Amino acid sequence: MGLELIIPILAATIQSGTPILYATLGEMLTERSGVLNLGVEGMMIFGAFFAFLVSYYTGNPWLAFICAGLLAGLFGLAHAVVCLVFQGNQVVSGLALTILGVGLADFLGTAYVGVSAPGFSPFDFPVLSAIPVLGEIFFKQDALVYVSFLLPFLFWFFMNRTRWGLALGAAGENPAACFAAGLNPVKLRWAGIYFGGVLCGLGGAYLSLAYTHLWTNNMTAGRGWIAVALVIFAFWRPGRAMFGAYLFGGIMAFQMRLQAVGATLPSSLLLMLPYALTIIVLLFSSARGKGRQAPAALGVNIEPGE
Amino acid sequence: MLGFTIEKRQEPLKWGSFFIFLGALVFSLGVSALLLAIQGKPPLEAMYLLWDGAFAHDWALEDTVLKAIPIFLCSLGVAVCFRMQIWNIGAEGQYALGAIGATWVVLSMPDAPVWVLMPLMFLAAATLGALWAIIPALLREKMGLNEIISTLMFNYIGILFLEFLVYGSWKDPASFGFPMTIMFPDTAIIGELFGRIHWGILVCAGAATALTVFLKHTRLGFEIMVSGENPRAARYARMPYSALVVLVMGICGALAGWAGLIETSATLNRLQPTIVVGYGFTAIVVAWLARLRITSIAGYSILLAGLRVGVENLQLELQVPASFTGIMQGLILLSVLAGQFFNWYSFQRSKRG
Amino acid sequence: MRKFVGIVMLAALVAVAGFGATVAQAKELKVGFVYVSPVGDAGYSYAHDLGRQAVAKMDGVKTFYVESVPEGADATRVINNMARKGYDVIFGTSFGYMDPMLKVAKKFPKTTFMHCSGYKTAPNMSAYFGRIYQSRYLAGLVAGSMTKSNIIGYVGAFPIPEVKRGINAFTLGVRAVNPNAKVHVVWTKTWYDPATEKEAAKSLIDIGSDVIAQHQDSPGPQEAAQEAGIYSVGYNSDMSQFAPKAHLTSVVWNWSAFYPVVIEKVKKGEWKADNYWWGLSEGVVDLAPFGKMVPQDVQDMVNARKAEIKKGTFKVFAGPIKDQSGTVRIAEGEVASDAMLTGMDWFVEGVEGSNQ
Repeated sequence: MGLELIIPILAATIQSGTPILYATLGEMLTERSGVLNLGVEGMMIFGAFFAFLVSYYTGNPWLAFICAGLLAGLFGLAHAVVCLVFQGNQVVSGLALTILGVGLADFLGTAYVGVSAPGFSPFDFPVLSAIPVLGEIFFKQDALVYVSFLLPFLFWFFMNRTRWGLALGAAGENPAACFAAGLNPVKLRWAGIYFGGVLCGLGGAYLSLAYTHLWTNNMTAGRGWIAVALVIFAFWRPGRAMFGAYLFGGIMAFQMRLQAVGATLPSSLLLMLPYALTIIVLLFSSARGKGRQAPAALGVNIEPGE
Repeated sequence: MLGFTIEKRQEPLKWGSFFIFLGALVFSLGVSALLLAIQGKPPLEAMYLLWDGAFAHDWALEDTVLKAIPIFLCSLGVAVCFRMQIWNIGAEGQYALGAIGATWVVLSMPDAPVWVLMPLMFLAAATLGALWAIIPALLREKMGLNEIISTLMFNYIGILFLEFLVYGSWKDPASFGFPMTIMFPDTAIIGELFGRIHWGILVCAGAATALTVFLKHTRLGFEIMVSGENPRAARYARMPYSALVVLVMGICGALAGWAGLIETSATLNRLQPTIVVGYGFTAIVVAWLARLRITSIAGYSILLAGLRVGVENLQLELQVPASFTGIMQGLILLSVLAGQFFNWYSFQRSKRG
Repeated sequence: MRKFVGIVMLAALVAVAGFGATVAQAKELKVGFVYVSPVGDAGYSYAHDLGRQAVAKMDGVKTFYVESVPEGADATRVINNMARKGYDVIFGTSFGYMDPMLKVAKKFPKTTFMHCSGYKTAPNMSAYFGRIYQSRYLAGLVAGSMTKSNIIGYVGAFPIPEVKRGINAFTLGVRAVNPNAKVHVVWTKTWYDPATEKEAAKSLIDIGSDVIAQHQDSPGPQEAAQEAGIYSVGYNSDMSQFAPKAHLTSVVWNWSAFYPVVIEKVKKGEWKADNYWWGLSEGVVDLAPFGKMVPQDVQDMVNARKAEIKKGTFKVFAGPIKDQSGTVRIAEGEVASDAMLTGMDWFVEGVEGSNQ
């Protein structure tokens, strides 16, 4: 395989990794606040649908992108109500959120299948796109990809250098200590769930605004679950999330191109690659070590009263 | 808080889960009805049609029970895992592997007499199903790999493996190239018992009984129950925690595998990729609604099977999309989860208020 | 037991609400359709549903449908319930409904059953389908004339005979005008997933394809072609709106040329079991209007061939036709039988890719 085929594969890698990157960071934020939310798939599809809907009616993709995030966050608050107010089981509540989100988006969205709406298209980023090879891979993308380049840095800065970020992390590590320090861990977790949901919704919006300019039911096709897996792979760190998302995007881009050049392997086996790879990658990274653990209070509800 | 405080009950509310379910059901039906009304469909008539198509006639009840059988088996297994706080969401893939195992036996010895073929089919389905669950269990215990993720990925891989076989070497040469195996011989088909209900329902009853006895009256069963409530205590008591994890996952895989076997043999009479329709996920909803109790699982399996069947009636008469099932399932589960709070907590008028 | 009480209470609630069954309507023909995917998919089921809507406009006919019915046990139940509700004509629009429908047809001899894309029939059950491969061949002629790189990409849904037959007919068309061109196939294992299908098209563009054809319901591949500045061929309905600069033509279904005819026959009592396989000449399949970039001489050539197919003087699958390995599958002077077309499981020479 020559450079002329490798560059497009890498460029496609960035693009198919982007929705997963948004969602992975979203789930990571929620988990850092101590809440496990398996409803990523549901919030993504919710975001994908509302992004399309808003863009279809207003013709403004940026507005659509933002609305999708805000609405998906609101939808995710169902998880907060169940787990933070009513002490429901986080695993099952997240699953329910996914089932509900997929059903709801399908139910509301049937009428919009088969039409297209305005969205984002790739453009050459000034100056940087002229860099040989790297420019072609990273800087001939759409605006939402460029936004996603910044996200891991913003995420890191927020969690490690701002008061709110540190407080959010404390709610996930040790809610009792957090409470003792005069903070309200429950409120922090509400925020973690909401803004995590916003990011998941943005990931979904990428699919219906930039990846394609179309909407269909089930268009997230399991990407939300991949995001949940990648949070573990990334050891809850944003930089590694970026690496994981692109690794995954890469394998998806690669298997299609393997078919295109005329590989005679059955397509079912090639389609298995991304899922098998997830397990293998997690195996190599799941050795427990310092700084690789989940937030200590992840998945544990804060009981009311005390 | 508005003059109320939350207090923890000493004992869970008596009959609590029943009232909670009723409340949750009313709430979810209400929200669903609202959604229908928004789309201009008559909500009350819709609820009637749902009922009518799922439970109101002999044939409807038969359809519902038939649909409940695979859901019930998957859910039994899922419930055992959940009891130990092992979040196995891979029943879907284990179901697919069970179907593969049974079909493999049929294809390799189609002429065997029924008393050889049937037991081997059950054995193969249970083995492959269990294998598909035990691998994630081992990965969890030996390598620390989160079982939610591994079982989920195993779903995708298992289903694609089924497709690989049925689109490839297992394809019936007489099927005009369509992805399906040969029709099973009569010896490999689970026959009808009464009406259209096949004797797979006896397998359900047998499995449920065996599982109840195992959990309540054996030492291992006791250890599983204890480990679920307190893994750390279980380890202190020198219970073989890892072995128990492998065991419950194996049980779940085997049961889900049988569900796959029964669906393939009794209702399709051949293996097709279309047997994979989400029973494994419905099973999770059922297990949780039933609060992991075996007797309740039967009731909720029938209820959720009825929901799936009833929605078809709704489609025919009112053109409500098929996705309505998902909305109702999600809503019921969320509201039951929230409602279970009242089982343990109560709102009291605050004294300072 | 508590759960049972719950169920009974729910029943009581509903009964109190008071809804008698809504029967007793004027004698009209009830027609049911069973679809494999959502009607909103803008593709295969949507095309059938347009046909249903044409039926619904007829006098004294009422139509019903159920969407997203998995092939197998669920299909048996749905078809059975339609028959039990007294539907007069039932259409099953996917291959996997064949055996379920046959089972039900035996139990309801007075009901008329119509099964799409299969081969089994009964005294009260017909098989029907459209010769969409004729349109595919014509689209192949266009694509073969327009390609410069001699690499054409084809995004395929599932490796089943219907799709393979289409790829073969398309490739025969391409190679009829351009013997050096090759058709590369990528399978997506989806019918409607814009993201995956667009990605598949992009992968084909990366290896040098300058025309993208599709057997997919979503316009994803069209978008990919438009963005890359190359040509595309759509499917199901006219997809020009999604890729105005790229769209050469689309291979389209027109079920409203068929369904009302069947219903008319049933009403007059003239219906009898048969194997309908209609094509270009009956108008069930067609080619969408050409894009502006298609030169007049190409348009004329394609239209001439279309007329020959309509008259029956030209057959798409006429020998000699070799498969991928070079073995002759259809000898010179022979024409593929309908049985062979139904079960077509191999690729013709010129197709690159796995056939499963």
